Amino acid sequence: MTRAPLPEGVRFLAPEEAAQRAQAIAVLRDLYRQWGYLRVEVPALERLEPDHPRASKAFKLVDVGGSVLALRSDFTPALARLVKAAYPAVAAGEERPLRLSYDGLVWHAIDPELARGREFTQVGIELIGVSSARADAELIHLARESVRALGLTPRVEVGNPAYVTALFDAAGVPEGAREGLADAIDRKDQSEVLALVAAHGLRGAAADAIVAVPDLYGGPEVIDEAMARVPTAAAGRALERLAGVLEEFEDPSDLMLDLGMARRLSYYTGVTFRAYTFDFGQPLLGGGRYDGALLPRAAGFALGLGRVLAAVEAAREQRGGAARGHSRRDADPLVASLDDPAARVLRAAGVRVVRSVAADPEAARAEAVTVGADFLLLPRGTGGTASERLVALRDGIDPAVAQRLRSLLVGEVA
Amino acid sequence: MSGAAERTGQGAAERPWLVVALPKGRVLDAALEVLRRVGVAVEVPEDPRALRYEGDGVRALVMRNADVPTYVDLGVADAGVVGYDVLLESGSRLYAPVDLGFGRCRISLIRPRGAVGPIRRVASKYPRMTAEYLRRLGSPAEVVALSGNVELACLSGLADAVVDVVETGATLAANDLEEVDVIALSSARFVVNRAALKLKSARLRPLITALREAAQRP
Repeated sequence: MTRAPLPEGVRFLAPEEAAQRAQAIAVLRDLYRQWGYLRVEVPALERLEPDHPRASKAFKLVDVGGSVLALRSDFTPALARLVKAAYPAVAAGEERPLRLSYDGLVWHAIDPELARGREFTQVGIELIGVSSARADAELIHLARESVRALGLTPRVEVGNPAYVTALFDAAGVPEGAREGLADAIDRKDQSEVLALVAAHGLRGAAADAIVAVPDLYGGPEVIDEAMARVPTAAAGRALERLAGVLEEFEDPSDLMLDLGMARRLSYYTGVTFRAYTFDFGQPLLGGGRYDGALLPRAAGFALGLGRVLAAVEAAREQRGGAARGHSRRDADPLVASLDDPAARVLRAAGVRVVRSVAADPEAARAEAVTVGADFLLLPRGTGGTASERLVALRDGIDPAVAQRLRSLLVGEVA
Repeated sequence: MSGAAERTGQGAAERPWLVVALPKGRVLDAALEVLRRVGVAVEVPEDPRALRYEGDGVRALVMRNADVPTYVDLGVADAGVVGYDVLLESGSRLYAPVDLGFGRCRISLIRPRGAVGPIRRVASKYPRMTAEYLRRLGSPAEVVALSGNVELACLSGLADAVVDVVETGATLAANDLEEVDVIALSSARFVVNRAALKLKSARLRPLITALREAAQRP
């Protein structure tokens, strides 16, 4: 049996796909920069910390000295370490907004399943040092804008696991039963929730609220519904925080509340959210507030770039769009050149020029077609000015494109 | 174009119909029946080999039960009907808002009648659930994944216990096997893709309510 060229769950990106990714990352970096986020980089190689939220998913390596290292499996703890090192006052509790953005690879040592990679690119932001409805809303605004910037229509679900935690406290759900019950609520598994509530002998208003919570999703009215039977002040505060977040939106129509969001209760302490788009069955990004988990006040989100690009591709197919048609090539033409000085002039104007390495003009034409060039610039001394020596290699090129290139070459020697 | 959307497998708002994944076999008839009772009529085609059933605003995809969670998880289907046992085994975190009440069974640990020796190897169609169960017990037994007739593993000596579905217990009695422990109770669930519930709630929410009512009054 021949050895597979790559380990499972990783793959090559050919130029076209690599360019799409680079483009998407550029769009997002620019968006976050415009909102005042500062881009940081953190090492891919980390010390293995057993209390890392994703320690069990990390790829482990043994360092030269024998200590155990891990490949980055999540950006958030890495950024928290950066904050502790670079902004110790914020890490110690100083209240001041610190806006950071990142993008890069993470690795998950999971069983490689169908359609799930083990190496993937995440792009995200963290808003650290503040905790308020307005700060929560800023992240949701940016989650929405991120999806829009990539040409997709967002729909964001927003919840507050603090509400579920408050219901658990009010009902006296024992510590060992919380994870299972939260999981059943998060899966809206009504019969399992009922069975667990009965099994743990939970009764009263808080137990009723626990049974009701999986169905509390929809518009702002779900907050009123929950408020009508709120069992404790803490549960009320969690609902008020969500209402406060909604108030930060002029048009909350693409937000959807889901009070039953109860994922990773021990990590997420406040408002959490996930963004979806039409035509795509999986979340594009997710995040939330984790005050006290890694830093005193912090919230953020991460976007899975591979997912998002798959959604972009699906939306394009849905529109029946041939986005890779001639118009896109015309916008960024490629010239194959046998005239180095003229090539320099074109490149200085931002035109892509590949140097022909063929032996003669005939071979150069064939070579130019192979490398995907739209024009061939013949060598000096083959007749005519540089403008005249620029030959189109395919039909249907917008005449204005050829005209622009020729005008750049006017004045170049024959 | 809708064909293209289906190939890439994305639930679409532009897709006006609801796509429902249904399992082949006994559950299929019960699922079609309960859907019909809540006003979602799906035409059963004459050709028994047909894999797509059309209905008013609904398209049903018919598949092996173990594939239902995959179709719904990836959003090719907006919703589906699947046994809770299959859902647990898949590890998918789908919404499971309705217990439809039919297809009731137990997933149990089964041994030859009177067996008392240590359990060293367990055969099952449910390797994930079995491994988790054994971990909970702290048992070091090894798990062997089989695809059918799991009782045979016990009778032939391949394994000294199996984890399998028990409905009436008649098969067990006939083969002199005994149900030692119940690991999970199962029945058919109406499952929903997470994005679909949020993007198509106008359609799915009333359906969920109607199915819950229908399940209460069989």
